[in-house]
Amino acid sequence: MKSLTRGNFGVARTSLRSNRWRSFLTMLGIIIGVSSVITVVSIGQGIKQQVAHQINHVGRDLITIRPGHIDPASLHSLNILSVTPSSGSLSSKDVRAVQKTGGVGITVPLGIVGGTVKSGTGEYLAGPVVATTGQLPSILNQSVAYGDFFNADDDGNDVAVLGQRAATKLFNQQVPLGQTFNFRGHDFMVRGILNDFATAPLAADIDFNNAIFIPQTTAEALTNNSVTPYEILAKPANPNDTNKTATAINSSLLKIHGDSQDFTVLRQDQTLAQTTGVLNLLTQLITGVAAISLLVGGIGIMNIMLVSVTERLHEIGIRKAVGATNRQILSEFIAEATLLSVIGSVIGIFISLVVNLVLRILTSLAPVVDWKIIVLASGVSIIVGILFGSAPAFKAARKDPIAALRGE
Amino acid sequence: MSVIELQDVSKLYGFGDATTLALDEASLTIEPGEFVAVMGPSGCGKSTLMNVIGLLDRPTHGDYLLNGRKVSRLRPNQAAKIRRDTIGFIFQSFNLLPKLTALENVALPLMYRNMTSTRRLKQASNILERVGMREREYYLPSQLSGGQVQCVAIARALVNNPKIIIADEPTGNLDSAGSRLVMELLSEIHKMGNTILFVTHNPELTRYATRVVYMHDGMIVQDEKTAIGQVARTARREMYIIPTMTEEDDLAGVSTLMKALPGKDEKRADTKKSKRKTAKSRAKKGAKR
Repeated sequence: MKSLTRGNFGVARTSLRSNRWRSFLTMLGIIIGVSSVITVVSIGQGIKQQVAHQINHVGRDLITIRPGHIDPASLHSLNILSVTPSSGSLSSKDVRAVQKTGGVGITVPLGIVGGTVKSGTGEYLAGPVVATTGQLPSILNQSVAYGDFFNADDDGNDVAVLGQRAATKLFNQQVPLGQTFNFRGHDFMVRGILNDFATAPLAADIDFNNAIFIPQTTAEALTNNSVTPYEILAKPANPNDTNKTATAINSSLLKIHGDSQDFTVLRQDQTLAQTTGVLNLLTQLITGVAAISLLVGGIGIMNIMLVSVTERLHEIGIRKAVGATNRQILSEFIAEATLLSVIGSVIGIFISLVVNLVLRILTSLAPVVDWKIIVLASGVSIIVGILFGSAPAFKAARKDPIAALRGE
Repeated sequence: MSVIELQDVSKLYGFGDATTLALDEASLTIEPGEFVAVMGPSGCGKSTLMNVIGLLDRPTHGDYLLNGRKVSRLRPNQAAKIRRDTIGFIFQSFNLLPKLTALENVALPLMYRNMTSTRRLKQASNILERVGMREREYYLPSQLSGGQVQCVAIARALVNNPKIIIADEPTGNLDSAGSRLVMELLSEIHKMGNTILFVTHNPELTRYATRVVYMHDGMIVQDEKTAIGQVARTARREMYIIPTMTEEDDLAGVSTLMKALPGKDEKRADTKKSKRKTAKSRAKKGAKR
């Protein structure tokens, strides 16, 4: 039996090799199916991991207060640090209210200051100017790469701290400490450059690596107190009191807003659960579509195998005349289907790995390839190939030898 | 014990009004070591007879004993195994697999015996040596002449060491040199004790046979033992008693009546002239190509 099996694969190999182009087209369905399933699932996995990493990095006790009412069930933003331009219903009054709420440790407002940034390289358009306080690095567990972040002594001074990419884009150099840029008629001096923020990809919002941070007090002076926070970050004094503190913040803000819920208090675990939920749904959906392409690939195999049976009728007749039993013919054709789907899967896996590599290099995505999904995708495609290949194989095996010899 | 014993074997094709009787209660007994030529006009059931004997086809009625075993009602897989072990086929159109080399083609039947690849190729190589094709082992069928291809096909038929060799018009597609090569090879195999059945349209080839069977309309109409080296007596007179219509004649529009014209009859009366007739039909074939 062993030599028969090997013989069958030998026959299958010869048959596939003699029809290279067609064999490739047959495998295409399987190739596309396997590679897309693996790619999609690993991108999903990658994003999930990146988001989890980001949340773990800033700490699970971080509370975000955003303007506008966001129903947690419909929350779909992937980036917790994203700049979502919503109706500006938050004000500095709210910031103070949050600060005063019992249990709150640190409070950091984030506001966008309008205006054009000009430096030696021209206008800077890649990111916003964010007004914030000196506690931003500590609330986000963010470290400063060069120089240091502004502190209470810098209040009202024209100093700035740059996100990593903003630094390179603005001054064309890695460490532009002491350099100046012009913003709303003032020359701001760079006094610090932040490390890379852990960001989640696919967010349509601006990320902090492109942002320029200036002190809140300076911004207020520049704009006549018209900087409205688009987000308030808060951390409880005791990390175990996150839920309680979030509820407290909500109720104290409700008082100021006249009992209208035109803001949202979000906890990190809610964000994570939402993100994971959305991603899972998305991954399942795309995987479903990719699975259909696997099915289509199986049909492709069946189609070509049927053609192959008809084309090789004479050969089947000859093989039967020299003593091949139905089962031997059957296993020859099933071996061919198996070989087609195995080779297709291998090529598909290879392509998905290449695509993942390219995505890692060219985008901020970091796909995670799980061996389980490789086994699953290729296993399903091989089973599909064999199942769809057996129908034509049975047809071939049942051919009457004389009719087959005549090529009827 | 007879190798082949057909008892009132009939084979029907089709249904209702379209039914054709390819074999009509044919009975035939062949002893071991016989070299049987089967002759008859086209459509007389020669090929059906070969298919039934070769277990490629099942008779509709009647019994068939192969080596004393009743094989007329076998299931396809059992028939395949008997074909594999006891019957070698040689076809008019060679039927080699075009993508395999001569050696691989010869080794093909051994694959269905679950033999290892090395042993298969070794045995195939030995058989190719026997038919004088050792130097062309790695040629593809398309790189060989017709006679050589048929020699490879004969090697394939021999590779399982079958008791019976069935050749359906083995020289039908060959020129005279090729025919000679093939027939000499067959008679050599016959000398080693194999039973051979072959179908032919060429009366000349009855020289090689020990027995000639004539068929007409699915019936065996005459059965004659002949000495090796001599054209069978009936075959010499074949043109008179059985209307000859070879496929080539049919295509060329030559009617039996034309052939039976008095002037031509004389020419066909002796053996020499009958040779000329074959030459003519070959020329005709050549012109067709």
